[in-house]
Order: sequence, then C-alpha cells, then structure tokens
Amino acid sequence: MIEIKNLIGNLGEFHLHDINLKVNKGEYLAILGPTGAGKTVLVEYIAGIYKSNSGSILVDGEDITHLYPEERNIGYVPQDYALFPNLTVKRNIAYGLEARRMPSEQVNSIVSDMISRLKIEYIQHRMPLNLSGGEKQRVALGRALTTEPKLLLLDEPLSALDENLRTEMARELRRIQRDVNGTFIHVCHNFEEAADVADRIAIMDDGKIIQTGTLKEIMEAPKNEFLARFLKSQNMFDAVSDGSTIQIGQTALVKENPFKGDVVVAIRPENIAIVENEKDKGQNVFSGEVESAKLKLYFTEILVHTDISLVVICQTGREYNKGDSIKVRIPPEKIVIIEKS
Amino acid sequence: MSGERHSRKIFNAFFYSFAGFLFLYSAYLFLSNLDQLFVTEAAVKTREITNWGEDREILNQFAGGFWKDPYFWKSLNLTLVITLITTLIATLLGIPTAYALSRYRIPGKSMVEIFFSSLMVMPGSVIGICLIVMFNYGPLWDLQNLLGFKFAHSIFPGMVIASLVLSFAFGMSAWKATFDSVNPRFEQVARSLGSNRWRAFKTITFPLAKSGIVTGIILAWTRAMAEFSAVLFFCGTFRELPASRFSDFTKFLQMDQADWVSVAVWAQVEFGNIEYGFALAFVLVFIGGISVYVMHRIGAKGYVW
Repeated sequence: MIEIKNLIGNLGEFHLHDINLKVNKGEYLAILGPTGAGKTVLVEYIAGIYKSNSGSILVDGEDITHLYPEERNIGYVPQDYALFPNLTVKRNIAYGLEARRMPSEQVNSIVSDMISRLKIEYIQHRMPLNLSGGEKQRVALGRALTTEPKLLLLDEPLSALDENLRTEMARELRRIQRDVNGTFIHVCHNFEEAADVADRIAIMDDGKIIQTGTLKEIMEAPKNEFLARFLKSQNMFDAVSDGSTIQIGQTALVKENPFKGDVVVAIRPENIAIVENEKDKGQNVFSGEVESAKLKLYFTEILVHTDISLVVICQTGREYNKGDSIKVRIPPEKIVIIEKS
Repeated sequence: MSGERHSRKIFNAFFYSFAGFLFLYSAYLFLSNLDQLFVTEAAVKTREITNWGEDREILNQFAGGFWKDPYFWKSLNLTLVITLITTLIATLLGIPTAYALSRYRIPGKSMVEIFFSSLMVMPGSVIGICLIVMFNYGPLWDLQNLLGFKFAHSIFPGMVIASLVLSFAFGMSAWKATFDSVNPRFEQVARSLGSNRWRAFKTITFPLAKSGIVTGIILAWTRAMAEFSAVLFFCGTFRELPASRFSDFTKFLQMDQADWVSVAVWAQVEFGNIEYGFALAFVLVFIGGISVYVMHRIGAKGYVW
C-alpha cells in the first residue's frame, strides 16, 4: 500500500499543497486534472526525482521520503517513455535487472518472459528510435515491470497514441495490471481515459488533490464548481436554495438539500429525460422549444430553451429541428448542488 | 527526414568547399613561396633591417627549410605539450562543470554561464591583461611569493593558464550543449530502475554524449593552440632568453628557447622574416584544418557508440 501524507513540494514557480493520497495494493489509480494541475510534478516527487519540503511517502509502511530514486523500487514511465536510444529493445528491458547485478541467465529468462508477455518478440533486437508509439509504450512498460516495482507510475502513457490505439492500449494496460497484480498510478488529463483504466480516480487542480473516489462517486457528488465543470456537467446555474426547492431565475426545481442561500446547480445532460408522454405532469417537468440540435457520433445533442437553456442528450435516434416544442424532466436525484465558493 | 538530409547536403557542400578553398589557397601560397624559404637571402636582409639579438647566425643555419631549424621544432613541441596539459585540465574541470550546469538547479547558474560566454567574445589581449593584473597584485601575488615562483612569464604554469581560459570556455559551451541535448529523463528512468547516479551517467548519458564530448575536447585543444594574445601578454617570448633561464626539465622536453607557435608567427613577421612566419602559419592552418575535419566527421555521426 502506498500512502502519501501531507506532502508539500516547492519548485520555485510551482507548489504542491498538502497532498494526501492512499493507493491500495493491486489498485489502479488515475490522477486526473487539467494541464498545469501538478500531476506530473506529484509523480516526480513519488519517483524521488525531487525531494519534498515536508510530509512523507510510505510504501507498505516503510518511509521512503528520503531515499534516492534507485532505492525506492518504484517504476516510472514518463510521458515520452524515455527509452534508452543507445540500447536495443531487449537491453532496455534488461536494464533494471542488470543494474541489480543479476546473473545473466536469470536476466535472460525474465526478459524473454516479459517480451513474450507483452507480445513484442518481433522487435526485441531493434533500436527504440524505429518503433511506433504503441511499441514504444509496451517496451517502456516491460522495462519498468521486470524489476517488479512496488508501485508503477505512468505519466500520460496514452497521450502520444492516436485515438483508436488509445482505447486498445488502455484495455491492454488494464490487462497487464491485472496480470502482474501491480499497483499503478496513471496520470492523465482525459476523463474517458481515466474511466477506461482506473479503479479509483483522484482529481487534481492547482497543486492540490480536490477529490478522490470511484468514478460514480465523483460524478454523483463533485465537491466543487471546478470539478463539476471539469466533469463536463454542461448545465450549470447560479441558484438560490431554501432547503427543499431551488430557484434558478424564474424556474423552480424541487430538490431536498442541506443548503440555504446561494448555490450552484449542476445537471449532467445525459440525466435530463425527454418526456414523450404529453400528459406527464410529474415533478420538475418543463416545456420548451428546441433551439438547436447537433448530431454527434452516438447521440444527438439538443439545446432546449425553457426559462433556462438546457443541454439535453437524445439517444433514441429521433430527429429534432429548431422550433420544435419539447418537454423535459429533471429527476431530483440527479441534480447536484454545490455550495457556492 | 528528407528535408533534413537535404539541408545536411547543402551544409556539407558549403563546409567542404569553404574549408577546401582555405586549405588549397594556403597550400598554393605556401608552395609558390617555397623557393624563398630555401634561400638565405631573406634572413640576411633582416639583419640589416632589425637588430634583435646577438646570435643572429641561427637564422642562417636553417636556410634550406624552416623544418631544419631547431627553434621551429622546439616551438611546436612546446605548444603541443602545453596545449595537451591545458586540454586535459579543461576536460577534467569542464565536463563536470558543464554537466552540473546542465542538470542541477544551482544558485547563480545564469551568472556563471554569462561569465563563460562573455569570455568567448573577449579579445585575447583583454584576457591577457586581466591575467597580468590578477596574478601580479593581491592574494594571487602573495600566493606566488609564498610558493617561490612566478606564474607570469613562465612556461609552466603561465602558458597553461593563458591558454586555459578560452580553451575551457569553448570546451565547456560544447559540453554543456551536448548534455542539454541528452534528455534528463533517461537518467531519471535509469535511476528509477535501480542504477545509481554514476551508473546512469556511464551507461546512458555518456554513450549518448560521447561524440559531443570528443568534439568539445578537440575544440578545447584547437582553441588552446589558436591562443595568441593572451599567451603573448601573459608570458611574452622566450626565444631570446639565455639558456640558463630554462630548467633542466624544459630542456629535456626540448621546449627551451622556443615560442608558442602562434606567437612565433608574430615574432618572425615582426622581425621582418615574413616567409618564416608564413610557413609557421601554414603549419597552424594544417593542424587546425585536420582537427576541424575530424570534429566535423564525429559531429556528423550523431552518436558515437
């Protein structure tokens, strides 16, 4: 188990503020955040590239805060993979074992095993310069995994790959992690990617960890406005709450909530239902008209104007045109209320 | 990729035609003036123009070719021995300094870099006068008194110091550029895999930086060879000094009563012996040309494995 306690890092122009994080053994954690949130810096602190100003990093209860990177046994795969250009693929993978002065027969057998596990036999004698993005990634993973690190840090491992390969490699990463029962920390700025690979997600912004939890937990209860926006809750409004209803301009939404006064309301577009039955007069049902309808790959995105403008997603394949009248229902349990910061 | 190859071709064509022109033109001048080096007339004439020493006959002894003059060989010997020492010191100090400047966050780092870069644009005479002032006053003067010998106007360490300044500055800029070009992530990953700092350098950074390091060493050496004003200002000429002024060790190494080659070029021209000066200049062009050629070949390889 990896435990980061009150880690503070100061790199002059960049600061990490009081980072607390726990990763269980065999868990796949994604650190998600916008560019400049400090994800890479955090990973570099864990890898030991920088010394922290205060706080501690524990691996299985052992304090490694003051150890050199070579003493930590933490694997690190940087964004550009940093494959050693002067060594062949096979020697790259063997590097960590050779550094441990392991006898060469043993090195060979571990390396061959890893090469076949990653299905890269055909490139093992090539130089890294001539590899494709996906091949480079496999080699970098193999190199980091041969030493059986207690934790593997992956810094945006999929960002250099093209869209189609990305999904495939995300699945592959997940498979490898299960296969070796490794503890992985995966940094990314793409929500989909984090959702594809991770058991749990930690969201970072401005050198701080804002929220940690499973995807479902974070989506259902984002802690602040930034997070709701980051998670693409496209319908966000300033509102006033009295504890049981929320007033957005002229529109009143029914929702039991613990807040009184100014709040921010976030409703995910996929949670707004289109009411087909004209007679439906349930809670939070609003009539309006279609302002625009955009056809996307798997759904139609409709901008509905009631008293407020709502982005609604329609997956039924029905066509909507500008000016059509439409009825939508906002289920109270899907409304997220955040205290105004 | 092909664009890169194309521009490389243009660069090569330009480089070789320019270097070739310089070399061939110098060779032409040298060969077309060979007859003047074989005759004693020029030397005899200079006696009438200048009067710069008692043992004037030496000039006549080499009539028939400058390579028969012991002064030439001693000068070349002196320059080679001293520049090798200079290069060795520049390399031993410069590579770690360049590595540290490239890799670590050091307070005042940019000031150090500006200092060494500014040295490169200083005339040698300025460096020479700075060295004279530095070593003839203040704590360094006291130190010399304590040690019992003077740095200025000495072969060792005077010439080493004078040629070291620019040699170090040029070498270090090449080494720093080389280390800058090697991604520091390689070392970080190597260390995460269990290599200590030294092994990471030895197995990854050094092989990747090797060609740049060798290029820097050659650059430091050629820059030391090319030093003129700083050596002249700080050390002067030794040609006319009596043999008793030189140590046995210097005599043993065949470096006594000789001058730094580029200073010798100036001295010969100054004393009216232009042909001799030109012949020495040709030797410098020859050595410099070969060094630059080797440097270019190594640089063109990218990595030297």
